[in-house]
Amino acid sequence: MSFLCAMFSIALSLISVSWAAELEVTPPAEFTDSAALQEATRLLEEEIKLATRPQIYALIDLATNVILIKGRGVELHRSSIEKWSASDRSRLATLYRLRERPQIHRRKINPTAGAEQDPISLVDMPATFPLKFSPPLAVLVLANTDGNPWQWTLQRGRVWWHWLMAWGEILRTGDLLPPPSLDLTVSLDDAQSLAWTVTEGMPFLIHRPTP
Amino acid sequence: MRRVLLVVSSGLMGLLLITLVQSSGLLTLNASTVRPAAVDPVSLHARHARYKTLAKRLTQLMPTQPYILVDTARNHLYIKRQDQVMLEALASTGSGTILDRPGDSKGQWIFDTPRGEFTVQSRLTNPVWVKPDWAFIEEGLAVPKSQTDRLEPGVLGEYALGFGKGYFIHGTLYTRFLGKNVTHGCIRLNDDDLKSVYRLAKVGTPIMIF
Repeated sequence: MSFLCAMFSIALSLISVSWAAELEVTPPAEFTDSAALQEATRLLEEEIKLATRPQIYALIDLATNVILIKGRGVELHRSSIEKWSASDRSRLATLYRLRERPQIHRRKINPTAGAEQDPISLVDMPATFPLKFSPPLAVLVLANTDGNPWQWTLQRGRVWWHWLMAWGEILRTGDLLPPPSLDLTVSLDDAQSLAWTVTEGMPFLIHRPTP
Repeated sequence: MRRVLLVVSSGLMGLLLITLVQSSGLLTLNASTVRPAAVDPVSLHARHARYKTLAKRLTQLMPTQPYILVDTARNHLYIKRQDQVMLEALASTGSGTILDRPGDSKGQWIFDTPRGEFTVQSRLTNPVWVKPDWAFIEEGLAVPKSQTDRLEPGVLGEYALGFGKGYFIHGTLYTRFLGKNVTHGCIRLNDDDLKSVYRLAKVGTPIMIF
């Protein structure tokens, strides 16, 4: 009995260490490290392909904790990632295209209304939203809710909803290997501007940190 | 009591053991945190050289001439040359609103500023707005049959820069809306900023919109 309890304790410790490993955010890559150099080279190869064409693309840099919006290799906008976690980093080494942009509430113009209608603004954009990609990758963008318990509660509800939907998809398709997933926590302003910025088909690259 | 102590101490021992093993690098728990095998210096040098070549190639793809940058979320327009900001201006961009096409149950206009990379295709002075169908429908008016009834001078400011599919960077009478998403897809600026953009941008100047 004691032996079983001890094994259970070890298993618990293993799980907690595993969680910690998943949530840790590594410092910027140093190119004296062969793995970091290899990852940076892979990323450059992919980026050059994107930068040769007239298009806007995004780079989620998990090594330096930033989301970059880029075009022709030029950094157009930079957002900080406050926290991130990834389910399977080893599978994030490819080019992803956004399947559809996040649902935003678009107002319909009523020609008979006459009165001036309120313009849309960043406040109207979602603060928690999933991004689905091809090949399959599930990214969940979360706005930082520190100091706002109401927003935190709402966000938890949405996170659970996404989690349930993901499990529903697994049960429906019978595919026991779910797509890799990435949760990104950014500031409220950055989350909402990202929801407005991304477009269907937009290419995304992910820079994975190395130990 | 002894049993509880045994369980707690076993747990702590387990945690200590795992921490030691992890820090020694003998065991990793995440597939992506596998430490690389030792690489010989020649191979590392070759990889460095490859990286430098690629980094240089990417730099060569960056525009060397001034380019226009538009942030539609924050309604700002910039003119940049490499890292230097030559102009920063408050703008108005697409409202993202929807207008139904009358007589077409599925058709609708979506008033977004297009995202992507474009180029300045035309530079106009004293532009005249040729009002499209949606401008009449939006106001609850009938769409005129005559082209001359569509002409509206003086509302686009002194200059306009076309970047394709009927989209322009132009002036506005509604300067109080600068900084807001209120347009039908065009990019509006105040008179002074518009003049600067007109002066700095040539046909072919890249416009990056995100």
